[in-house]
Amino acid sequence: MNDDYLWDKSGEPDPEVQRLEQLLGTLRYQEKPLELPEQITPSRSTNHVFLLAIAATILMALVAAGLWLKARHNQVPQDQLAIAPSSPSTPEPQKDAASPDKQKVVNPPTTNSGETERKPHVARAKLPTKPALSPKEQDEALAAKQQLMLALRLASEKLNEVQRRAVGPTTPIKNQHKVG
Amino acid sequence: MKSLFHHTYLKLLIVASFLTMAVQVSQAQTPRLQLNSLDHLAAKASETVDVSIDERLIQTALKIFKDEDPDEREIKKLVSGLKGIYVKSFEFDKEGEYSATDLQAVRAQLQDPAWSRIVNVSSKKEGNIEVYLRMLNDQITGLAVLSAELKELTIVNLIGPVDLEKLTKLEGRLGVPELGIEPAKPKTKNEQ
Repeated sequence: MNDDYLWDKSGEPDPEVQRLEQLLGTLRYQEKPLELPEQITPSRSTNHVFLLAIAATILMALVAAGLWLKARHNQVPQDQLAIAPSSPSTPEPQKDAASPDKQKVVNPPTTNSGETERKPHVARAKLPTKPALSPKEQDEALAAKQQLMLALRLASEKLNEVQRRAVGPTTPIKNQHKVG
Repeated sequence: MKSLFHHTYLKLLIVASFLTMAVQVSQAQTPRLQLNSLDHLAAKASETVDVSIDERLIQTALKIFKDEDPDEREIKKLVSGLKGIYVKSFEFDKEGEYSATDLQAVRAQLQDPAWSRIVNVSSKKEGNIEVYLRMLNDQITGLAVLSAELKELTIVNLIGPVDLEKLTKLEGRLGVPELGIEPAKPKTKNEQ
């Protein structure tokens, strides 16, 4: 017996080798094309879903950013006013009928000790509105100021009237309770 | 794949509808009173005041307030946090030009639980004045004054944090141009 069969399949085969050939032959490489199921072929709709997910994320981010900016914008004036009620009432200043003509925006003086804490905050909040007003803006501001003063005067008058009438001995107070 | 697409689309729709609802709810919760129902009284009134200042206009007006003037500085402090000032005032030549039904629409808005009436002064001689406050976390977010006098109807609506004490003290310190509204008021105050 020689080993030619093992080398080039010539010569007399060994029965044991033949048996092993038959056993292992089923596992030999068989050349055939790869068959993929049609369902998992990549389709274009996957891209749509991906794009939609991105769009939804961007939309949500924009909404969140908008809400945050709005909340931040609202917080600034509330912070300013939150300090105001707690500050001690200032003495009655002298009457000086304001002539709301063209005026420049000037930084507030630093004489009142109660305002020193608030100043950096106000200055920062008002910084974008500091530039000088155009004549049109000036007119609009003047008109708005007059309306504002009129409204405040009416509101103040009515509140004073309520106070006066509520304190008066002849007027009945139907419902009054302390707030806060 | 189509179902996945529809699923995402549905989710987007739900999110969008939630956002819309949130916006609507926030609008419904605004302390601004709708006073349009009173507009028809302007035809009967001898004097009418209609002030409508939103937050932008308030900020615009504040630009020309003088900080060196103590009165204006006070007003600036008072107003800087406000988001709106709305006033309607009608003065009539004779009594009975308006009725309680004219005020129903305004009163209905003030029935909202967020509003609470803190003062109601009623008098047959002088009419009624009611003060309502809208509170959120112990902070005033709105004020409404409803003054229904015999020859005058005034509704004041301030939106935002209001310092009532300072607002009350403002009277007599405002350099407001006289527009012929309520000419008899200073006399009645002095009489008291």
